Amino acid sequence: MCVPDRALVRVQDLTPEKADQLIWLRARIHTSRAKGKQCFLVLRQQQFNVQALVAVGDCASKQMVKFAANITKESIVDVEALVRKVEQKIESCSQQDVELHIERIFVISQAEPRLPLQLDDAVRPDGEGEEEGRATVNQDTKLDNRVIDLRTTTSQAIFRLQSGVCQLFRDTLTKKGFVEIQTPKIISAASEGGANVFTVSYFKTSAYLAQSPQLYKQMCICADFDKVFCVGPGKKSSHHVLPPCAAFTLVRSLRCFQTEIQTVNKQFPSEPFKFLEPTLRLEYTEAVAMLREAGVEMGDEDDLSTPNEKLLGRLVKEKYDTDFYVLDKYPLAVRPFYTMPDPNNPKYSNSYDMFMRGEEILSGAQRIHNAQLLTERAIHHQIDLEKIKAYIDSFRYGAPPHGGGGIGLERVCMLYLGLHNVRQTSMFPRDPKRLTP
Amino acid sequence: MSMYQVKPICGGDIKIDLPTCMYKLANIHAQQGTGCNPEHALQDHGALRDIVVNANPAHPPLTLLVLHSLLSQRYRVLSTVHVHSSVAGVPPQLLSCLGPRHADSYARQMFQLGFTLIWKDVPKVEMKFSIQNMCPIKGEANVARFLFKLLAPYPSDPALATLVDSWVDTAFFQLLDGSAKERAAVLRALNSALGRNPWLAGPDVSLADITCYCCVLQSGSVSSAPANVQRWLKSCENLGYFGPAKLLLQ
Repeated sequence: MCVPDRALVRVQDLTPEKADQLIWLRARIHTSRAKGKQCFLVLRQQQFNVQALVAVGDCASKQMVKFAANITKESIVDVEALVRKVEQKIESCSQQDVELHIERIFVISQAEPRLPLQLDDAVRPDGEGEEEGRATVNQDTKLDNRVIDLRTTTSQAIFRLQSGVCQLFRDTLTKKGFVEIQTPKIISAASEGGANVFTVSYFKTSAYLAQSPQLYKQMCICADFDKVFCVGPGKKSSHHVLPPCAAFTLVRSLRCFQTEIQTVNKQFPSEPFKFLEPTLRLEYTEAVAMLREAGVEMGDEDDLSTPNEKLLGRLVKEKYDTDFYVLDKYPLAVRPFYTMPDPNNPKYSNSYDMFMRGEEILSGAQRIHNAQLLTERAIHHQIDLEKIKAYIDSFRYGAPPHGGGGIGLERVCMLYLGLHNVRQTSMFPRDPKRLTP
Repeated sequence: MSMYQVKPICGGDIKIDLPTCMYKLANIHAQQGTGCNPEHALQDHGALRDIVVNANPAHPPLTLLVLHSLLSQRYRVLSTVHVHSSVAGVPPQLLSCLGPRHADSYARQMFQLGFTLIWKDVPKVEMKFSIQNMCPIKGEANVARFLFKLLAPYPSDPALATLVDSWVDTAFFQLLDGSAKERAAVLRALNSALGRNPWLAGPDVSLADITCYCCVLQSGSVSSAPANVQRWLKSCENLGYFGPAKLLLQ
C-alpha cells in the first residue's frame, strides 16, 4: 500500500494555530496578481479562501514568480507553503488571520484561459450589478456552464442545505419507523392521467417513465410494510400518514444551517422563515371565506388557482404570521379519483396541501383502500378501468386504511431560502427547453 | 330647561332634483347598529371564524384567558395554542392554558368561533380577526373590550359605560403597569368605590370587575388590599370565572 507523500491541509483549517508550520494544500487559483518581485494569489476551496504570496528569495526565483502570476484562474494547484500570522486582518478572505508564503507550487490541472463566466460576477446580487455597473451573470449562462456556476459560495450553500434537507427527511422518517423502498421508474400504463407522460421504447414495445411512485408505495402498504417512503428524482414521497409534524420537524431543524442560509441571503436577500408550533392547520372552507372576504369570487368546490394560492398565503401570513401551514379538507371534486371522501361530508375529502411562503410543497391525502369504492370513483372520473386493473387488484386481498403525500425537495429549498426560481435549487434542471448539461 | 323654539322656515318635504348620473352613498348615520357590533362578525359564513391573539409569554394576558373561558361557555369555541418561531420555548402551563383539546378539534367546521393563542415575541398583546375589515387590535385592554362585547353588550347608559372603560384602563395602566404609589392609589380608589356598591360599575358584574380582579391578582396586591376590596375579591371568586387565571399564577 502506498503512503501519500503529502498531507493536504484544508483552507478552512488555516488558523493562527498553524503559524510557522510548513504545509501542503490543494486548491483553485481564485485570483493571481503580480506586483514587481512578488505575486499575490488567492487560493480557494469551496466557500473558503486564503491569501498566498510568492516572492523572489531563497525558495523562489523571478521565473517562478512569473510562472505563478501566469497560472490561469480556476486551475487546481498544489502548494507547499509556510503559514504566517498577519498583523492586519485580510478582510477579503475567509481566512483573515493568516497568509501563505509559498515555497513550491505545482499546477495539477490547468484551466483554459477564457472562462465562460467569472465566479465573482455569478455571485453578485442583481441590484449591486446594476448600481455599480458591474457584470452579473444571467440564469441561462449559469445553467449552460453549471460546472463552474456550482463552484460559487451561493451554489455551494444551496446544495449543501439541500443535502441536509434530504438527510433530515430520511432521519425523521426512519426514526418514526418508516422503511425506505425503491420503486420501478418504468411502468406500463400512465398512472395519473395521460397528458404529460414521457414514453420510452421498451424491448419490442413502449413504456412510460413513472410520474410518481405512489402506486408502488400503496402496494407496499398492502404488503404489510406499514410505513414506507422513497426518495426519487425530483420528488420525495412517503406513505402511511405523513403528519404535519414530520414536515414541521424538518423546518425547525433547518435552523442548524444558519451559515448556509446567510450565505445565500448575501446574494438573494429574503425574509427569515417563520412558522408556528404545532403547525397551523386550516380547513378549505376557511380559505374560501378568507379569499371571498378579500374580493375573490369562487365557488365552494372550486380549486385554488396559483394566484389564489399566493393570495391566500399572504392572507394567512398577515393573520397568523407563519410561512408554513397545512390546508385540509379539499373539495372531492378537484382531487384525483383515488382520494378518500370525507365521511362527514360527501362534498369534501380527506386530502390536504402544505404551503411554504404561499406556494404548494406537498399534495397528500388518505387513499381509498376499498376496491369497490375505488372502482366507483374511477368510473365517476371516466377512467378506463382496464388501464388501472393492476392498481385496483392490489386492494382486493385485504388493504389497511392509509394515506400520504409527496414533497418536492427542490421546492422546499427554494421556498425556505426565499428564492424565486426552482432552477436555482435544481442542480442540473430539466425543462421543456433544457436537456443539458 | 326650555329654550326658545324657532318654527322651521322651509317645509321639510321640499323636492330637490338630484342628478341621477352620480354615485349614491347611503346615509352613514342611518346604519347605527350593524358595523361596529362584534356580534355581526359571528354571523355564520359556513366556515370557522378565527380570533388570533398574539401574546408575549413573559406577560400572559390573564383577562383574556378568563374571557376565553366565558366565551367557551356561550359558543362552540375551538381553542388552539401555538408557539411562534420568534420565541425559543415556553413553559408547559402556557401551552395548556386554554384547557384540554376538544375531542372534535379535527373538524374545524363544526365550531362557531376559533380562539387561536400564539405565544410570540411581541411588545403588546395583539388581536387579529377579520383582516379585510378590521385593523389589528393592540393592548390587552382593547382586546378584552372586543371579547367582552361578544358575550354581553356594554351598559346602554353612556355614563356607566364610560365608568367601565375607565376602570379597565385603570386596571392595566395604573394597577398592573404602574409604580407602587399608583397601585396603592388604585387600591384606595377601589376600596372607596366598593364601599358603596357590590360591583365596580352598576348593579351587575361588568368587564371592569373582571379586569380589575385579574390585575389585582397579577400585580401581587391581594394581601395588601383593603377590606372592601378583599370582600369584593371573594365575591368575584364565587362567580367561578377565574379558574384559568388562578391556575396560571400558581
